[in-house]
Order: sequence, then C-alpha cells, then structure tokens
Amino acid sequence: MSTPLLTVDNLRVTYRVGRRRVAAVKGVSFSVARGQCLGIVGESGSGKSSLARAILALEPAATGQVIFAGEDVLKMSRAARQVFRRRAQMVFQDPLGSLNPRLKIGAALAEVLRVHGLARNRREAAAQTAAWLATVGLDAEYATRFPHELSGGQRQRVNLARALCVGAEFLVADEPVSALDVSVQAQILNLLKTLQTERGITWVLIGHDLAVMRHMADELVVMQAGEVVEHGRAVDILASPQHPYTRELVAAVPDVDRALQCRA
Amino acid sequence: MTATDSSTGVKDAAEIVLAVSGLGVGYYPRVGERWDVVAEVNLNLRAGRTVALVGESGCGKSITAAALGGLLPRNMQRDRGELRWAAGVDARPGRGLAYVFQDPGECLNPVFTIGNQIREVLPPEDVPDASARLTSLLRTVGFTESERVLASYPHQLSGGMQQRAMLAMALAGRPRVLVADEPTTALDVTVQAKILQLLGQLQRQENLAILLITHNLGVVAEMADEVHVMYAGRIVESGPVALLRNPQHPYVQGLLRALPRLHGEAGRLVGIPGTVPPLGRRPAGCGFHPRCALGREICRTQEPPWRENQGHGVACWTRGAGSWA
Repeated sequence: MSTPLLTVDNLRVTYRVGRRRVAAVKGVSFSVARGQCLGIVGESGSGKSSLARAILALEPAATGQVIFAGEDVLKMSRAARQVFRRRAQMVFQDPLGSLNPRLKIGAALAEVLRVHGLARNRREAAAQTAAWLATVGLDAEYATRFPHELSGGQRQRVNLARALCVGAEFLVADEPVSALDVSVQAQILNLLKTLQTERGITWVLIGHDLAVMRHMADELVVMQAGEVVEHGRAVDILASPQHPYTRELVAAVPDVDRALQCRA
Repeated sequence: MTATDSSTGVKDAAEIVLAVSGLGVGYYPRVGERWDVVAEVNLNLRAGRTVALVGESGCGKSITAAALGGLLPRNMQRDRGELRWAAGVDARPGRGLAYVFQDPGECLNPVFTIGNQIREVLPPEDVPDASARLTSLLRTVGFTESERVLASYPHQLSGGMQQRAMLAMALAGRPRVLVADEPTTALDVTVQAKILQLLGQLQRQENLAILLITHNLGVVAEMADEVHVMYAGRIVESGPVALLRNPQHPYVQGLLRALPRLHGEAGRLVGIPGTVPPLGRRPAGCGFHPRCALGREICRTQEPPWRENQGHGVACWTRGAGSWA
C-alpha cells in the first residue's frame, strides 16, 4: 500500500454542555491509503459525525493530529486551508438540505467554481458544470433545474458534482445514501465506487449500514461512545467480528438471507 | 373470505380480522378531477399473523395504511373497494385498529407526560382504574420502571423508549389490528432488533394482526408471514414471505439485487434505473415498464393481469404466466 493520504492520530473532539466538557471523540487514530475507502460505522451518538467534521477542520474544538498529504489540518494557515478545502470535500446525508433551494443547479455549481477561482467567466463555468454533471451521470439540461425538481438520487449526484468540481481528491461522505430508496442507493453507491476506481478518489464513508460497508469499504472502523472498538479489513470484520459490540451490531442487522434460511 | 368463528375465547390462528378488497384511494386536486393513488389492493389481515407491505417511497404503502384507519389527508378519499371486519370487532378508530409510526418523537406531544398522553386514549371502561391499566400497559411493552416513565416527558426518553411508549398507547384500546408504518426506520439497529422482538412478542400475547409497512426487506424476511410488494400504487407481487427467495416480478427481483448483503459476493450492486413515477404520472400499461428490462410492447399499453397460483400472485406480462409455480 502507498503512503496514507490521511492519518488521524489521537483525535479528540469535545463539546461544552453547560459547565462540563463532554468528549464526543476520545482519542481516535487510523489512516486511509490513497485510492481507498475507509468506512466508519457506529450508532447515533457514537461520535462518527463529529469525527467526520474534525477531519475536514470543521470542528474548532478538535485536538490531536489530522495529517492530510503531510500537513496537519488542525494547524494550517488560512492560505493552506483554502487549498485544503479544494482537495477535501464533504457530502452530506440530506441532499435537499445541502442545496440552496433558490439557485438552479448550474448556478449552484458555478458559484463554487467562482469562489475557488476555477472559472474566469460564465462560459467557462457553464462548460465545466456540464462536464461535471456528465461525470456524475446527469444530463447537461439539469443545470437549468431547481433542486426541488430533482429526485433524491439526482440531488445526491449534484452534491457529488459540487464536491468534485473544485478538484477534490478526498471525500468525506456522511450517510450519503441513508435517505435514498434501495434501488437508487445502489446507483449512487456504484457511482461512488466508479469515482474511486477510475478517478482515484480517496474517501471516508460514514454510515450505520453494515451491509453497505461490506460492499463499499476497504477498511472499516467500528465506533462506540467516541472510541474505536474494532478496526480492520471490512470483509474480515463482517465475516468474523471480534469485539462484542461489533458482534452485537452484526447480529442486529435484519438480514434477508439469514432470515429466510431460518424460516425455511 | 369471512371469519369463521367470532365467539369470544375461540382463537382460530387464521381468523381474518380485517379483509381489504379492491381498495382504491383517489387524490382530488381540483373539483371534478381524480387521480389514482392506490388501486386494487387486496389484503387479508389474520389474527396472530404479520402481513408486510413493501416498496420504495412513493409507492403508496403508507397511503394504503392510512386508508384503513381513516387517516387520509383531506384531499384524498378511499373511494373504491371495501373493508370487512370480522364479526364482533369494534371498528371505531383507535379500537379495532391502531397505529405506530416511524418517528415516535414527532407523534408524542412534547408538553405532556407519557402518563397523561396514554391516559387520554384509554377507552371509557378503563378510566375508573386508569393507573393500574397504565402500569400494566407499560409492563406489556417492556418497561420495568413504569412510575418513572409515566412521569417523563417525551424528550427524557430515548428513541427506543419513545417507540415503546407509542406501542403502549396503541395497545390501550385493545386493538385487533396493529398497523406499524416503518416502526423502526428511525432507530439504531440494536434498538430496532429489540423493538421488532417486542412486536413479535406482543403479537403472540394479544393475538394481533399486524400490517407492517417497511422498505427494509431484511425486516420483512424476519417478521412477516406474508408479503405484498407495491409499485406505483398497485400490488405487483404477493404471497408467503418465502417468495423473496425466488421472486417473479422484475421489480421485486430488482429490489433484491440492489440490496447490499451481509453474506455472499460483495461486488457491485445492481440498481434499478430511473425512479418511482410521481403521483399522477403513472405510466400507461404496466406502471413499472419504463424501468423494466423485460418491457415489451404490450407492457406499454395494457395493464398486466393478476395471476395467482397457490397463494403467490404476480402482475406481469412476461412473468407469472402460470409456468413458474
């Protein structure tokens, strides 16, 4: 394996609750190799979203180290962070909530390109927008639509285009398919996989669905109450979970094959 | 089709508590205009059995559920088909049939205690001895500290506890049919497993007929005796839950291929191209034909007939010609 693109070392995230400080992430360490997908699973409150935000320097109260391509994300200068923001992007769960309802898709993407100084004029922006929409499997005419005119899957494609259009090589996707129906979920997961294999995108997939992880993640981190309880190759962990909590999680997943077998 | 024995005490496991036949729901956007939301739904809800209604969002499964208890929005009406209750069942809302929904936090009133909210729905005969009934209801749904829970406000309970409280409320009217509309979708998997287990236990204790609405085929396989798959407002395949091992309808096959699995090959998933048609834009012929790999000319123009063989029914021009049983 190549040198890791991202190394997280002893990362802590704390929040103030009244007068107390509560740790949401309690000293977590792992690394992600270039072109790989790292899955992070855990139940609500396990700290997985705090961790995701901290990796992208969106969590000011984070301590520890987040080394991205040799630089500590938590201690970057403004200028360095501006570059980092282009290379590392986030995709959220609710594809509608993360799009401006009053901007057409084309305008939303053009705005991102303009903010990052990647398009000099409207024509350039339009050309790039069309190219990125094609990359995520949308026709160029979608640029003239509003978010509410799109289906959930199409919106999530737009969000991916927006993340990628600034030249991102690293994506953190926080429950990117949880709000989607299974037939559409499969389309988006396949798109993510294609981006990984064909464009070399490295990514961290945050989720709660172990079956999705098994299909998508190369490595898997299992979190419980802010700590990593198990870490290893995703297929191995799911085939023979070692930690009691992981075992409980795996056993709790309603599984078509297992259930039909038991009932036969 | 009719219930055989309604005398109290005799509990035929296969007694049909509620028979739904030819159910249709119309949406009335303007005076004189009607759109089909749900059509031709036939269900037999039997005591002690679980029927699952599956499909993606927008397929009409929640509308079907709402139609059974008269919970349709104002601009929709159950205007086709009929609901036939077994003799002796109190068909009034909240008595014969009760609901649990997806988001217990949304269903509970934040400014009243759990105790007050359950007390409010107690039937008149239980009112004189309300506190004993409340305690017993809470015990039924697995609470040990009933006093504390009764005095709690919804925000003081976790999602799983809130759903238990909702179940207690649903059981207050001693329903014969429980409609559970995505009851565990908002919960973590470990909590989901406990709630599903509780549902099964309550079903055995109370001999409940459960209509389980879900999009999760894993939950269906674990819980249901019978499964009905809906697409664009109609049932496209139905039968004993074992049909999921070898489904016939291309939509049901597609759903299973798209489903990430915990066992077997962990390769690429196969999605179903396209999306569910929005309300009022159901394609002519078979509603699934624009997304179907087996689509033929006839699928575009004529609605497929319902063919049934030994309790397993399919609506498809290509499949289900009788040879598959």
